[in-house]
Amino acid sequence: MLKITPKNARTRRILQKREPKIEENVKTAIFIRGNKTNQIVNEALTDLCSLKKPYSIKFSKKNNIRPFEDETSLEFFCQKNDASLFVIGSHSKKKPNNLVFVRMFDGQVLDMIEVGIEKSIPIKDFKTRKCSIDVKPLFIFNGELFESSQIHKTFKNMLLDVYRGKTVKSIDLKGLEHVISVTAVSNNKIYFRVYIVQMTKSDQKTPRIELEEMGPSYNFVLKRTKFAKEEVYKQATKVPRTLKPKKEKNVNVNEMGDVVGRIHVGKQDLSKLQTRKIKGLKRGTDDDFEKTTQDKKQKI
Amino acid sequence: MPTLSDFKSNIVEDAGKTDYYARRKLVVQAKNKYKSPKYRLVVRFTNTDVIVQIIYAKIEGDYILTVAYAHELPKYGIKIGLTNWAAAYTTGLLAARRVLTKLGLADKYEGVTDPDGTICPIEALDDAPRPFKAFLDVGLKRTSTGSKVFAVLKGASDGGIFIPHSENRFPGYDTESKKLDSEVLRKYIYGGHVADYMRLLQEEDDEKYKRQFSKFIEAGVSADDLEDIYKEAHAKIRADPKFTPTQKKGDYKVFKKFTKSRLNLKQRKNKVKQKIESFKRAQEKDDE
Repeated sequence: MLKITPKNARTRRILQKREPKIEENVKTAIFIRGNKTNQIVNEALTDLCSLKKPYSIKFSKKNNIRPFEDETSLEFFCQKNDASLFVIGSHSKKKPNNLVFVRMFDGQVLDMIEVGIEKSIPIKDFKTRKCSIDVKPLFIFNGELFESSQIHKTFKNMLLDVYRGKTVKSIDLKGLEHVISVTAVSNNKIYFRVYIVQMTKSDQKTPRIELEEMGPSYNFVLKRTKFAKEEVYKQATKVPRTLKPKKEKNVNVNEMGDVVGRIHVGKQDLSKLQTRKIKGLKRGTDDDFEKTTQDKKQKI
Repeated sequence: MPTLSDFKSNIVEDAGKTDYYARRKLVVQAKNKYKSPKYRLVVRFTNTDVIVQIIYAKIEGDYILTVAYAHELPKYGIKIGLTNWAAAYTTGLLAARRVLTKLGLADKYEGVTDPDGTICPIEALDDAPRPFKAFLDVGLKRTSTGSKVFAVLKGASDGGIFIPHSENRFPGYDTESKKLDSEVLRKYIYGGHVADYMRLLQEEDDEKYKRQFSKFIEAGVSADDLEDIYKEAHAKIRADPKFTPTQKKGDYKVFKKFTKSRLNLKQRKNKVKQKIESFKRAQEKDDE
């Protein structure tokens, strides 16, 4: 990859922010139009982009991009914008209403999944309350295909990557505003729905929860894919040692859910064992002992 | 790291009027305290008006909670000088009282009823909800010391909104001693600086006074009246900050349209025909 040497402090700071870190930045996604798009695709790109705000960039112009044939322009955009996720929209007779989800790693394309939109309802058609900017979504993946099929697994992983947002230690319950539900209907069909959470008062401590569809809503058809090479994927998912939790030794959770610890005690030195002190057992020289007994006798 | 262009999709529409870096910092809420949106006290100036809005962001765009304009001030007795420091302060006060009335916090958070020019951010009460918190959004305006943007901030803060701020951008702040002269700030709040200038001009150059303050003279406002006018306005705002829309004169639905309506096919053909004929006539004339 092209190496840039910073010429002033400002660019140095910018480059520093882009450098690989132990705790990475939130991934930026670029939403981009292919060389021909229709209204469905355009709306889908804006809506998916708005869900990703503020870590999203939407390109408003067309770009002659064919991700499955040529990856150079993606690599260029990736490097320019420091973005590692792409959603590319296009529309043609052969592949109508097409979206390509692309993930990058180290400036190179890692994997890609192409989906077609069969049915779509944009956000603006749902007349409901919408969620705020930069909130973490709740995710539901329905269907066992997300565990068994490779393409579903990758798609799930990719969606999580796009909408994960910032990693945080704690979250306010009321800060959970929307739910993204993804359902695998059949081998190649996936339903993508977004709901807004409405919390109402209940008698209990936790609020009563109702879901209302907020949009967007898509029926996706899975098409072409490009999976990551095994060794590249391994490298991409590598967790730095400093981030890994330290192994806790000898602590287990038993069937009842109790934490059980095992303690290993070293060999005890019995010679230093403290016992009850009795005067008679008090250590002294044998002479001393005889002397005292004689004294006692004399007194008697 | 995303660049400044995170809201790039909107850039075309707003023609370079947004500081996107600042916007992002202002809009995004801290992760673990969420829910209540981050409110911004947006202050914008035009040549004849001060606009104060309280805004929060959602994914599909910004929502305005309340708005107050300087052009509403005549209702409260300030007839002229609607963009000066004191008017900006009063507009901020109006916005604050309006939003607190809307949220039902007006009685609990009165703010500073008698401003004396000292810095006193709103503090949370024990027996009431926490104060309404907003952050100042200055837009592209320079944040120099004494700027009117901070007049609005001071007004809103005295009106009972909690806006994090310090003293170092108010008039009367001395950069060398790093201290705020509260007397100066108090003077600005009641338009004292305007009154001073009025008196100065009256003494030195009466003609210029008449030119500069012609509207003041028209309205019969003298230098000595100013403080009372602002004091009264503040009291009136506290009594009734509600927004009343102006009565529209006439039926605005049938206003005259200035765009040309398109010709239909028949008219268009007729137009072409006439043009051809006039061209022919012109040519015949040339031949003769």
